[in-house]
Amino acid sequence: PATFHNLQELRHSASLANKVFIQRDYSEGTTCRFQTKFPSELESRIERTLFEDTVKTLNNYYAEAEKIGGQSYLEGCLACSTAYLIFLCMETRYEKVLKKIAKYIQEQNEKIYAPRGLLITDPIERGMRVIEISIYEDRGSSDSSSGSSSVSGSTAR
Amino acid sequence: TTFLVGSTTLFFCFTCPWLSEYFSSVIPIYTAVIFLFTLANFCMATFMDPGVFPRAEEDEDKEDDFRAPLYKTVEIKGIQVRMKWCSTCRFYRPPRCSHCSVCDNCVEDFDHHCPWVNNCIGRRNYRYFFLFLLSLTTHIINVFGFGLVYVLHHRQQLDTPHAAVTMAVMCVAGLFFVPVAGLTGFHMVLVARGRTTNEQVTGKFRGGVNPFTNGCMRNISHVLCSSQAPRYMGRWRSPQAVDVQPPFVRPPLTEAQLEAKVLDNGIQNDRHSTRSKSSLDQMESQSADAEPPPPPKPELRYPGLPRADTEESSLLTEAPHTPSMYKYRPAFNSPGRNHTALTHPNKMIRGESLDSPSPSILLSSHQPSYRSEPSSLDGTTAVGGGVGARRGGGERGEGPGGPGGTAGMMSGGMSGYSLTGRSYTSYPSSLVLSTGGSHSSSLRSAHLAHNPLATLQSEGTTDTSYKSLANQTPRNGSLSYDSLLTPSESPEFESVVSPSSPLQGYTSPFLSAQIAQQREGQLLQGSATFSSPHRAYLRAVSPPSPSSGPPEIQHLLQHNQDSSYRAPRNLSSLSSSPGALEPLTATCIYPLCVVPPPPPPFPDGCPIRSTSRPVLANHTTSKPGGGVKKVTGVGGTTYEISV
Repeated sequence: PATFHNLQELRHSASLANKVFIQRDYSEGTTCRFQTKFPSELESRIERTLFEDTVKTLNNYYAEAEKIGGQSYLEGCLACSTAYLIFLCMETRYEKVLKKIAKYIQEQNEKIYAPRGLLITDPIERGMRVIEISIYEDRGSSDSSSGSSSVSGSTAR
Repeated sequence: TTFLVGSTTLFFCFTCPWLSEYFSSVIPIYTAVIFLFTLANFCMATFMDPGVFPRAEEDEDKEDDFRAPLYKTVEIKGIQVRMKWCSTCRFYRPPRCSHCSVCDNCVEDFDHHCPWVNNCIGRRNYRYFFLFLLSLTTHIINVFGFGLVYVLHHRQQLDTPHAAVTMAVMCVAGLFFVPVAGLTGFHMVLVARGRTTNEQVTGKFRGGVNPFTNGCMRNISHVLCSSQAPRYMGRWRSPQAVDVQPPFVRPPLTEAQLEAKVLDNGIQNDRHSTRSKSSLDQMESQSADAEPPPPPKPELRYPGLPRADTEESSLLTEAPHTPSMYKYRPAFNSPGRNHTALTHPNKMIRGESLDSPSPSILLSSHQPSYRSEPSSLDGTTAVGGGVGARRGGGERGEGPGGPGGTAGMMSGGMSGYSLTGRSYTSYPSSLVLSTGGSHSSSLRSAHLAHNPLATLQSEGTTDTSYKSLANQTPRNGSLSYDSLLTPSESPEFESVVSPSSPLQGYTSPFLSAQIAQQREGQLLQGSATFSSPHRAYLRAVSPPSPSSGPPEIQHLLQHNQDSSYRAPRNLSSLSSSPGALEPLTATCIYPLCVVPPPPPPFPDGCPIRSTSRPVLANHTTSKPGGGVKKVTGVGGTTYEISV
């Protein structure tokens, strides 16, 4: 039957239903690694391979950031010699990698996770202790911005 | 700090110029460099975030908070490491993390809280701290050494201010050298071992292996050469740019998942089928459960129908005088179901056909008895039912404030009616019927003076009551009739037995009138509420048997008084005075003849056999004591209730 609906009503909205926390993997010491174990809550939301890919990529990023090598050593020396004044101008290696990670997570969210009603939060916002994945549920017609705004509120501290 | 800066400044002012002149300019420059380096490291160590963890958000610790074990173990390179739950920060502390009480923060790779620097030393600023220590030591050595050189050179001129200052500076330097060097050496060892001060001091890895070490060289390089760790606090967060909007893409279900789904459906189906297959009682309760709870209506009929439990509770709440019912409620599931059934039959009695609830009604009638008199359960159900009925009757009698002394039976009957109004139809009837149930129950019930009367009555008519209940169930409103009939009979019989004769006498006419009234009411209104027939019945009380009632009843009462048990006996006593009895019987049993078809056989409970004995005297013929008690209705149906 042809009934007139308010556009607002037609717009479905998502609401935050649950959060999954991917814990750190400490099996190799305190280097930053996250568990690639597929959480059960995501069973029906996303393919296992996609999730594992994401986490593995993140782990690689972090390993690269913490790598002790030429660049980091030079950086250290430079900082020493300038009495660390160099930090006022330059970005450390870690920070550079973190930016890359943030961009990657954003891209993953846009392409893969948001269409599935999921949202990955950058672990740096949680002190690198967990990867937080928010699970959204379709709540039908309601205020559409509620779900996303709540997320942004929590992330933008 | 002041010492450091002050003395260094002095050194520079007084000692260095000479040194630079004497030896070379390199010395002061070198010293200055070292000094600056020390200062820089000192500042970094002081003002840098050591690696403070931000507090965990509420969502994160949801699961952990209440049942959280204090420790969570994690395996690091084969070694079990405990992670402790930090209640302040609300997460499990990562390995090597510790909570600093001074700073009130959890710090990553917590080393110690340095008072000189007045800051925690953690992952991020450990390097600077270490370098600070190193540089400070070096600086002190420099100052001391050069001062020494100066002094040695100017041995003859020690009285000069320069020399004095230098010497003073040397002393200070020498003084500080000892602890600083000690600390530096200590940390050098730590770095080489890959431990934190915290771990060393608490002796965590005293005997065991340190899982965090990567080898001496690697440890050193990690401290000195690793990239600056990022800070966690005070990060500028980019607003979430991704909008999450349904519809959501779902991954295809795997085979296993599909299988699980099928199983789920199957399970659900089974559940439903079992529901339908379940016994009537179960059906009653389950159907009640399955129905959406009706909105609380102001209507008296359906006070909270939905669930057996609620019905139970509602019934119980309305019967505050019987704590025993509450007590035994949990032990018996059937009561709950019976309650459900009760409400259902109530509905039906109102005019709907009621086939299924009949057994439930019967059971429900049993139920209250069970509740109130669990001990009596061992005996006949009739007894139990009687008890419950009695209690209900008593309560009801008290509740509506039925005619004061009106015997328990009457009150039972009346209360039954009043209860009807509250959708307690079957219940009160059962109560009423069971009122005469057991001795013990009657003895126990001390609610009303007429209670014993009621008890006695119920005793005699327990079976009858049940049977009548059963009979009633299929018929609309017949329940009330039967229930009324039974108690009406019993009071007649038992009124004799009850000690309070005036009450008894008073009771019987009431009861008979009640029954007549009820019947009349029911006849008039097929679907009328119980309250109305009740009232009608009451009204009819006066006209029908004003004269015949009391004397006969009195007689009956006297008879019954002697016998403390058994409807049969009462019946026999009744039969002994058939003449007096008959009119009463007629009055009392009148409702019975109005009752439509004979009751269907009960699945459980008391078997009912209807015979075509119109006279109440048939009752008397029934064997006394255990066995079958026959209650004959005027209409020609005799109900035999096995005791």
